[in-house]
Amino acid sequence: MTVEQDFEALDQFPVGMRVLAVDDDQTCLRILQTLLHRCQYHVTTTDKAQTALELLRENKNKFDLVISDVDMPDMDGFKLLELVGLEMDLPVIMLSAHSDPKYVMKGVKHGACDYLLKPVRIEELKNIWQHVVRKSKFKKMKSTVTNGDHSLGNSDHKANRKRKDDDQSEEEEQERGNEKKPRVIWTRELHNKFLAAVDHVGVKNAVPKKILDLMNVDNLTRENVASHLQKFRSALKKINNEANNQQANMAAAMDSHYFMQMSSLKGFGSFHHRPIPLGSSQFHGGAATMRHYPSNRTFPGMFPPHVSSSRIHNDGGYIMLQGLPLPPLDNLHINNNNNNNALPSFTSQQRSLMVAPNNHFVPEGHQQSSSSSPHLEINKRLEDWSNNIPQSNVHSKPDALKWNIDTSTTEPTSFCRDTDFGSSYATTQADFLDPFQMKQHQENNLDPMTVAQLLRSSSGNEGLLFMGQHKLENDFMDSDAASLDDIVNSMMTQQEQSQAEFSEGDLGFGWQNNSLRTCI
Amino acid sequence: MNNVVAQLQRQFHDYLVSLYQQGFLDNQFSELRKLQDDGTPDFVAEVVSLFFEDCSKLINTMSRSLERPENVDFKQVDSGVHQLKGSSSSVGARRVKNVCISFKECCDVQNREGCIRCLQQVDYEYKMLKTKLQDLFNLEQQILQAGGTIPQVDIN
Repeated sequence: MTVEQDFEALDQFPVGMRVLAVDDDQTCLRILQTLLHRCQYHVTTTDKAQTALELLRENKNKFDLVISDVDMPDMDGFKLLELVGLEMDLPVIMLSAHSDPKYVMKGVKHGACDYLLKPVRIEELKNIWQHVVRKSKFKKMKSTVTNGDHSLGNSDHKANRKRKDDDQSEEEEQERGNEKKPRVIWTRELHNKFLAAVDHVGVKNAVPKKILDLMNVDNLTRENVASHLQKFRSALKKINNEANNQQANMAAAMDSHYFMQMSSLKGFGSFHHRPIPLGSSQFHGGAATMRHYPSNRTFPGMFPPHVSSSRIHNDGGYIMLQGLPLPPLDNLHINNNNNNNALPSFTSQQRSLMVAPNNHFVPEGHQQSSSSSPHLEINKRLEDWSNNIPQSNVHSKPDALKWNIDTSTTEPTSFCRDTDFGSSYATTQADFLDPFQMKQHQENNLDPMTVAQLLRSSSGNEGLLFMGQHKLENDFMDSDAASLDDIVNSMMTQQEQSQAEFSEGDLGFGWQNNSLRTCI
Repeated sequence: MNNVVAQLQRQFHDYLVSLYQQGFLDNQFSELRKLQDDGTPDFVAEVVSLFFEDCSKLINTMSRSLERPENVDFKQVDSGVHQLKGSSSSVGARRVKNVCISFKECCDVQNREGCIRCLQQVDYEYKMLKTKLQDLFNLEQQILQAGGTIPQVDIN
């Protein structure tokens, strides 16, 4: 996209917002496409998650937002969600016919900006552009200190640049002098100098002036150093605070021990330095960091778009804690295994980024071949049956629906459903279903009704009940949707303050409460 | 000529309203009709035919999965039901969607017999709807050929 086109699109935003829609269901995809067109977005569709990823990867600037179905045969929608968030840091909206709050929760935890229920209404789609704005606003508000030497960092910055006249991109790093407000990128080297300077004067004595002098870097102001130092200090403080955390006790002890070591100048040079990730995206220390934060927290959103395989390998296994150097991994292995449940998932996620992203294949669910002789029996029954219209199902439905209404509105938590369609859900239903089934058995003995009779009977009340249930479902989810926005809003304010601590690539909802992270 | 058009339009209107009243279609269908405009005059017809295609495929797949009692792949069936529910609710095929709800329950408790019954019913319902909508589209065509416009139909 040329610069002129960028500005054009900018002026008319959200008109022309570029959406990538992914859904294996061709009916839904077609509808979605039309709805999005109606909203005056620019739409690209695909029915394969894999294709979507390829499209996104081939040009990271091509899209502003991704809408994806949850259940797709070639890749789990949540997986796609994660990958998009990690690699491209685009806002992703999930789409599903599942109204189960569990799925919504899963979406939120995997970093979805929103979760829409099918059938999607145009009113909902008219507002999705807010997620693009929100995301780019976050990026803009991120601290000026970012790590510039990640290859994947480009996507973050470029996506940002499209929407606002942002000056955080790497390319514009060189043009810093032309900007009104020069941004300092705290590269690894720069941070190393900083650390060396701090170390030299001692943390307690670290004042920006002294550090600045020691660092001896051109174009660096006292203010730059001061803010960097402030963040550094609060990061340290946080570590020490977190040392009170039960799970992190051991690790924290080791960390503070090592920290003391560092600040006392011993073995400083052997540590692997990393810039403080003030809003930056490199965060391999994610693993160690997670130790030091409330145990239940995992950060799918923390695994930033800038993670690259080369970084992992270069680390040689060093863990970074908020950019603070820590001793080699082997010393901390024991702690990791004991304290950090999220580490395995962290690793596997890294792996999934480094290796093929196709680790998670749901077995092909839809076969296209038409029925042939082995299926004759079933088909024959189908034909026979089409002449008979049992009344049983018609009458039994209201009960089933009633049940749906009750549970869906009153006991969302009792669903405890995981992706394996857990048995707990089944058992809660079993009690109810027995009478339902018994009814069916009885009524199958009745004579088949004619079509006309069926039509006459299936009106009025049933219709009301059905509509009611449908409406309830929607209402329930609507309130959830509202609360999703609330969460985001509250996060926004929190985020502003805690940018120093969190090196979030995409924020989504990933970092909030994520004890179930491992259920990927 | 005008009488013919008016008559057809009335017929169309009444027929469509009856489909809503009888529960074949719901609000979502009317939303789809609203999306249709001069630029996309066949939108609804296109979408519903995609839907019927999907139905046919999914029913076949599920039927295969349910075929042998000793080896039912409920996960596959569930996936099919889920997709069917999604697409039926998206086009406003109310009855089909409702069967899917029951169908899902049978699937969750791995009730093969129940699933087969639901499958049969889904098959019936979608074919029924297909016939009905075909009649509706025929009426539309007749109106257009007679020089009239398709009436907007509000459902109460």
